[in-house]
Amino acid sequence: MKNSIKRFKESYLFYSFKRDKTAMASFVILVIFLLLSLAAPLISPYNPYDAKTTDLMNAEIPPAFMAEGTSEFLLGTDNMGRDLLSTMFYGLRISVLIGLGAVFLQATIGIMVGLTAGYMGGKVDAVLMRIADIQFSFPYLMVAIFISAIFQLMFGIGSFEQLSVPLLVVIIGLAEWPVYARTIRASVMGEKNKEYVEAARVIGLSRPVIMFRHVLPNTLTSVMVISTIQVANAVMSEAALSFLGLGMPVTMPSLGSLIKSGFEYIFSGVWWITIFPGIFLILFVLVINLLGDWLRDVLNPKLYKG
Amino acid sequence: MKKFVVVGLTLFMVLAVGFSANAKTLKVGLDADPVSLDIQVQLSGGMLQLSHWSFDPLVRWTQEMTFEPRLATKWERMDDLTMRFYLRKGVKFHSGNPFTAKDVKWTFDRMRKSIDYKGLIEPFVGIDVVDDHTIDIKTKKPYALLLNMATYFFPMDSVFYTGTDETGQPKDAIVKIGPSFALNNSSGTGPYVVTSREQGVKMVFDRFKDYWDTKSPGNVDQIILTPIKEDATRVAALLSGDVDFISPVPPQDFKRIEKDANVKLETINGGRIITFQMNSERRPEFKDLKVRQAMVYAVNNAGIVKKLMKGTATVAGQQGPEGYAGYKASLKPRYNLKKAKSLMKEAGYANGFECTMIAPNNRYVKDEKIAEAVVQMLAKINIKVNLKTMPKAQYWDEFDAKVADIQMIGWHSDTEDSGNFSEFLAMCPNKETGHGQYNSGMYCNKTVDELTMAAQSETDLAKRAAMLQKIEQILYDDAAFIPLHWQNISYAGKNNVGIAPVINAMNFPYLGDIVVK
Amino acid sequence: MFAFIVRRITQAIFVMLIISLIGFAIKNKIGDPVRDLVGERVTPAERAEIRDRLGLNDPFAKQYVRFLKNAAHGDLGLSFFYKKPALEVILSKAPATMELVLGAGLIIMLVSLPLGVYTALRPRSFLSRFTMGFSTLGVSMPVFLTAIMLIYIFGVQLHWLPSYGRGETVDLFGNGWWQSGFFTLDGLKHLILPCVSLASITLPLFIRLIRSEMMEVLESEYIKFAWAKGLPPMRIWMVHAFKNTLLPVVTVFGVQIGIMFAFTILTETVFQWQGMGYMFLEAVERSDISLLITYLIVVGSLFVIVNTVVDILYGLINPTVRIAGRK
Repeated sequence: MKNSIKRFKESYLFYSFKRDKTAMASFVILVIFLLLSLAAPLISPYNPYDAKTTDLMNAEIPPAFMAEGTSEFLLGTDNMGRDLLSTMFYGLRISVLIGLGAVFLQATIGIMVGLTAGYMGGKVDAVLMRIADIQFSFPYLMVAIFISAIFQLMFGIGSFEQLSVPLLVVIIGLAEWPVYARTIRASVMGEKNKEYVEAARVIGLSRPVIMFRHVLPNTLTSVMVISTIQVANAVMSEAALSFLGLGMPVTMPSLGSLIKSGFEYIFSGVWWITIFPGIFLILFVLVINLLGDWLRDVLNPKLYKG
Repeated sequence: MKKFVVVGLTLFMVLAVGFSANAKTLKVGLDADPVSLDIQVQLSGGMLQLSHWSFDPLVRWTQEMTFEPRLATKWERMDDLTMRFYLRKGVKFHSGNPFTAKDVKWTFDRMRKSIDYKGLIEPFVGIDVVDDHTIDIKTKKPYALLLNMATYFFPMDSVFYTGTDETGQPKDAIVKIGPSFALNNSSGTGPYVVTSREQGVKMVFDRFKDYWDTKSPGNVDQIILTPIKEDATRVAALLSGDVDFISPVPPQDFKRIEKDANVKLETINGGRIITFQMNSERRPEFKDLKVRQAMVYAVNNAGIVKKLMKGTATVAGQQGPEGYAGYKASLKPRYNLKKAKSLMKEAGYANGFECTMIAPNNRYVKDEKIAEAVVQMLAKINIKVNLKTMPKAQYWDEFDAKVADIQMIGWHSDTEDSGNFSEFLAMCPNKETGHGQYNSGMYCNKTVDELTMAAQSETDLAKRAAMLQKIEQILYDDAAFIPLHWQNISYAGKNNVGIAPVINAMNFPYLGDIVVK
Repeated sequence: MFAFIVRRITQAIFVMLIISLIGFAIKNKIGDPVRDLVGERVTPAERAEIRDRLGLNDPFAKQYVRFLKNAAHGDLGLSFFYKKPALEVILSKAPATMELVLGAGLIIMLVSLPLGVYTALRPRSFLSRFTMGFSTLGVSMPVFLTAIMLIYIFGVQLHWLPSYGRGETVDLFGNGWWQSGFFTLDGLKHLILPCVSLASITLPLFIRLIRSEMMEVLESEYIKFAWAKGLPPMRIWMVHAFKNTLLPVVTVFGVQIGIMFAFTILTETVFQWQGMGYMFLEAVERSDISLLITYLIVVGSLFVIVNTVVDILYGLINPTVRIAGRK
């Protein structure tokens, strides 16, 4: 363990990280965001998803620093009387959950398909990549809207609230797996004919073993870089779906649904319902993107263009 | 060739109107535009508004809820079953054809073929033409609401709609889906002629030159109607001056409109009640009167009106609003959380239970938010509600299937009368008679059924009112439903638009009479 | 080449079949269109009758076969709401969306080309750093938020620009089909905010792409050779370097047009723009199923066509790429 920490400290990755202020700042902010989302139930002054503790009579209270605000609600309340700060923490939690979950799903499907296609080649490759190409040629947002419209209707009402998060994970996961599949396949194609693979084959290792133990680790750099960008994308997709009313249920607002409900009020001077969650969302996605940019510059993998 | 002439004429008219110095155009922004020009193809608020703009009814409601003669100048009761109407003379349709008794009869007979209207005119036997300008309307039983129904008779131009169109389809065909002559052409007697229509985008009305009502103060030459679905955008359009008149106005923007010196807000009490029905067949807990009462006591409907509706609704304790025959002043809204909690305890549900709820999200003012607020309020007495909201196109199916334990429904009485509420919302559901068609709570009480039926044919108004009030009392005591409020109807316009005199509780702004300074 | 196109078309037809099949499978789940067409007084029995007449009660297979038969004749069904053939409705909404995409495309071109080239040539200047920082911010901003902020600033606070609809339009071909907002001042004003929001999605990507391609080219041997030959800098940059960065840009542009089309759904919703995206969401709300299926088919074919054209173009510009084995 000690050894690996030492190794990491001496690595090029850590070296360049130390020298890049933007990356460091982004990393710190990202860690704060992750901690906030993890600890949301502990640090939030209220539980916005508990109907019992929210009171409509507190609706639309401005932030504490404004004349009509109260210190009870630091950033004010939304249109249903939920504490905005708490709702943002919980919303962030959902964003993180969906972002990581969806990317995990995308990566799993994408890596499986990409590895299989790249290593097996031939007909399998042709069929799998054709499917990926076809889906890829449709914009993911449209695919996501389509899938979510179907899923929304397939489940009863009782279970709707519990199911909404896993559902969104599946929707966004299914909508974007081809990104991974194509990149992985491209790297596998490059690795496949290298000597170490040849060697593994000669000593009689089975195909799955070669694929997962030997080829896969060598494609992980690209997976890492794509993943950061994909987490940012998934977070934005969830926000977009919730904004269109196809995402989280009204009783469990995410950042996107908060922005949507604030949009109805934006002309009437109730700006905080939109602006605070908006800034929160942008900042979160921004630091992920900045880290992603930095990773790409440092690791410089051959990425699949287009 | 004919087309060119029409286009040329229209163009000329548009130009003429555009260049004459005192031509007045009113730009109207509504949440939706009429779905068709055929006023009998669908019975809905939007279509009735259109009916008032390019057609005229026999009689119409005034702001004070009395009857105003329109195409009928006077009427008299001949016997228990017959009412004679004397029709206005010298009235012309947009096509130039003269208006006669024949048109009224033709219109009534066509209404019979419209599935939307035929239920409404079910109490009628038919119309007899006495002479060119006199008709007798006959009912099957003595019918107290005959004049109320006469507000639905908008005579159509029988000559114009007779024959076949170029596809061979009869011109009077009522087609729900697909093209028809009446979908794109209309000829009524009303103040405005529809000159162009692009569905969902824009509709243009021009003042009818030969309009019979020369005493009407209305001075608008052209109306341009643009549907603007999004509430916030509709308000923005008014404030930026893109439109002159909007409806409905979202409650959250009232303050902003009141603050702006260039525009003004007008609201009027409406008759649409918003309620939640509790299904005792799905959920045994709801069979317990105490539980139902506890739920009614738990819902702070005054708070909803204050916070969500911004005061633009009247808090309700019963079905019909003040002014309706069945209204009983003693039936007050009853929010009392303490009482609700103790009732739950008495019923043995101190720890509450879990249940489901559905509500539409684009049907009533703030419907989704209201449902969410009720979920909050029921949580306070430990009833955990799982809520799902959906667009109205999906909602009614789920509503009919009674998929949830608590379901939202709003109701506006077609006849502006209390009996209609009970007939559709409170009578025991019966597939054959159609009674209780929207009673998804499955509430069933024989006395309510009997009283509702008896009130329908009772012509002694005092006796009838007593019956209707008794129904309200029973429903109140039984906590048959959770009453929320009666929606107000709201309009806003620039200062030079005279909105106040032309609006009414039915939400049919009589734009024919609107004055723009 | 011919074989390639045939294969693409077969593939496209296959995709359309799957889309329509899925569309049909969910048909009964997404609500009853008849409900939206009738008043509240209409009895269930009468509604059932309408459904019967529309053939909505037939078994799934029968409905689907009927749909395929009609589709083969170019009839994709009637839109319940518009009471017109669904294809006609979509075509009538297409110009509005095209103008939006066109306007956004113009903005992207006009902004990304100079900025991309500049940031490549002067990577250390303040403007370059600012541009790059701003583009990362742009990538991180959801389009609906951009749109809302634009509306708030320019529409609500400053009152400079209108925030909804298309404004005054001009009939381009005299048949009422293409109502264009490009030829009136009012129409142009209405175009600005929606186009800027739509452009903001892919603009950062293009600036970065042009920049990195340009930098790559500037490093190459032939540019070094050109310098050695003593050609004037402008000529090297514009003729030799810039021309060679365009190839990948064109390809990516093709792919991005598809993405822009998808994002018109969000942009059009916020701005109440009467185009295809807005129509799509309204159709979802109204359960106008024929319109939904037709929309997916039209958009699907559009993407297939765009991708095919881009591939062919790519093959023509760059003969080293063999079209058959696309990448």
